[in-house]
Amino acid sequence: MTSLKDLQKEIRDAVFAKPSDNDALETASQHIHGDDRITADEHLLIYRQAILSTLISALESIHPVCRQLIGEQFFDAMARRYVRQSPSKSPDLGDYGADFSDFIAGFEPAQTLPYLADVARLEWAWHQAFHAPDETGSGLAELANVSGQDTPLILFKLPLSASLLESAYPIHKIWQVNQDDWQEEPSVNLDDGQVRLIVWRQHYDIRIDPLTDQQLRLLKAVKSRRSLEEISASEPGLPLDQTLPQCVKNGWLASFSLKQI
Amino acid sequence: MSRFISTPIENTGIGLRAQHYRDILEKKPDIPWFEVLSENYLSAGGLALHHLEQIRERYPVTLHGVGMSLGSTDPLNRDYLKKLKSLAERIEPAWISDHLAWISADGHYVHDLLPLPYTEEALNNFAARVDEVQEYLGCQLLIENPSSYMSFTESDLTEWEFLNELTRKTDCNLLLDVNNLYVCSQNLSFDPVLYLEALSEGRVKEIHLAGYEAQDNFLFDTHGQRVHPPVWELYEKTVNHLGPIPTLIEWDTDIPAFDVLTEEAGKAQQILNAGSLHD
Repeated sequence: MTSLKDLQKEIRDAVFAKPSDNDALETASQHIHGDDRITADEHLLIYRQAILSTLISALESIHPVCRQLIGEQFFDAMARRYVRQSPSKSPDLGDYGADFSDFIAGFEPAQTLPYLADVARLEWAWHQAFHAPDETGSGLAELANVSGQDTPLILFKLPLSASLLESAYPIHKIWQVNQDDWQEEPSVNLDDGQVRLIVWRQHYDIRIDPLTDQQLRLLKAVKSRRSLEEISASEPGLPLDQTLPQCVKNGWLASFSLKQI
Repeated sequence: MSRFISTPIENTGIGLRAQHYRDILEKKPDIPWFEVLSENYLSAGGLALHHLEQIRERYPVTLHGVGMSLGSTDPLNRDYLKKLKSLAERIEPAWISDHLAWISADGHYVHDLLPLPYTEEALNNFAARVDEVQEYLGCQLLIENPSSYMSFTESDLTEWEFLNELTRKTDCNLLLDVNNLYVCSQNLSFDPVLYLEALSEGRVKEIHLAGYEAQDNFLFDTHGQRVHPPVWELYEKTVNHLGPIPTLIEWDTDIPAFDVLTEEAGKAQQILNAGSLHD
């Protein structure tokens, strides 16, 4: 008799098999009761249909702008392909689709929209920010008490909700004109040039803020856990005395500690 | 020390949906309790959890999940259980429930509640996992009967026998979804009244009611409609047999206005009240 473990794998394989692959379906359906009204295969296909549509809907709900850009049918077909090859590794459906943007970047039929993968990255960052934990650190209030001697050792931290994004395309504008509340002309000039963004949550408000090249350099250095001293050394020409206060003022640095020597 | 007044759930509650946060927080409707989908609140923060905490200040809450995968042979997902435990510590639910089902094989999650073959092997596996989760969370679980669209040639127990053995082995309790029971009885051809009469006494602590969708040759459980007449009938029989068990109106897709849910809850409450008179 097939063990429970093998039976479950057979059913999983039947669910995610290509429609042209009947072997997996036949293997699994040997375990299923069928009758005149509904065959064993049909029982399994109900689950295949339900499971694929749950995963596709999850991707749709996280990526409404991508869906709007390419239309429901194209999105559905692209997501279906992704779902068949990308197993969900978490019981939380909200974790599903972290590398959907990478898949889009390599998805041949989407190559005519070179910005699509970056828009998907932006939507994933928004989703991450929405579900991020609340900040629990003490913030930057103690910054004034750091002695001059210790200042080089300051290790800033980005908000827990933050993602840093760069794109050769105006993805922020593309995102904005596809929001329900956009009032102006719904057009985007793709030659508007590259954008650098931080997507994060301020209290309960999700923000997409444009960054300058210098701000992005600083925030990336912070993200890689470098102290102020290390950032000065690794980012020559970055005017920390200007860029740092800008990042603090905008809330892009959420807390700090001192690097232990 | 507890942050909330601890009250057991009773009467007819409503499944909490994000669309209704505002209705509930502003109008403070007279609803005995709310149930939430645990997976929607697992991140340690954000707006959803903020709303839930506000609602919890006023109402008892139960946590209902789909992520334990208790019927699977994969190792229990520790990360998920840890998050669920933190949520439970924050919300202090009246009950934590999940399903008689598996959702993962070989670390691959399908996000749908797949039924089990009802065998000794599946029972021992399920019971051992319930034991482990109950010990970790420090509470009794409620296990819900799923909607099924298939049954296995390997099964040598009925679903109710499986559930009775499970409660006996693990001391867990049951969440009886009357809609799921009806859907299964139609899809898999059995008598739902026999099923509920066969359940061990005193184990059903909560009931679910929802709507299904009739397809060509089977009933599909969408939780996206009003409760259907044959399910109301079966619910009445359930209440007459089991007594006035706390009941939930569940609605997961095509979420309607909050008033529609309170109307459905009102109907269930009438049946519960009539059932109390029988006692």
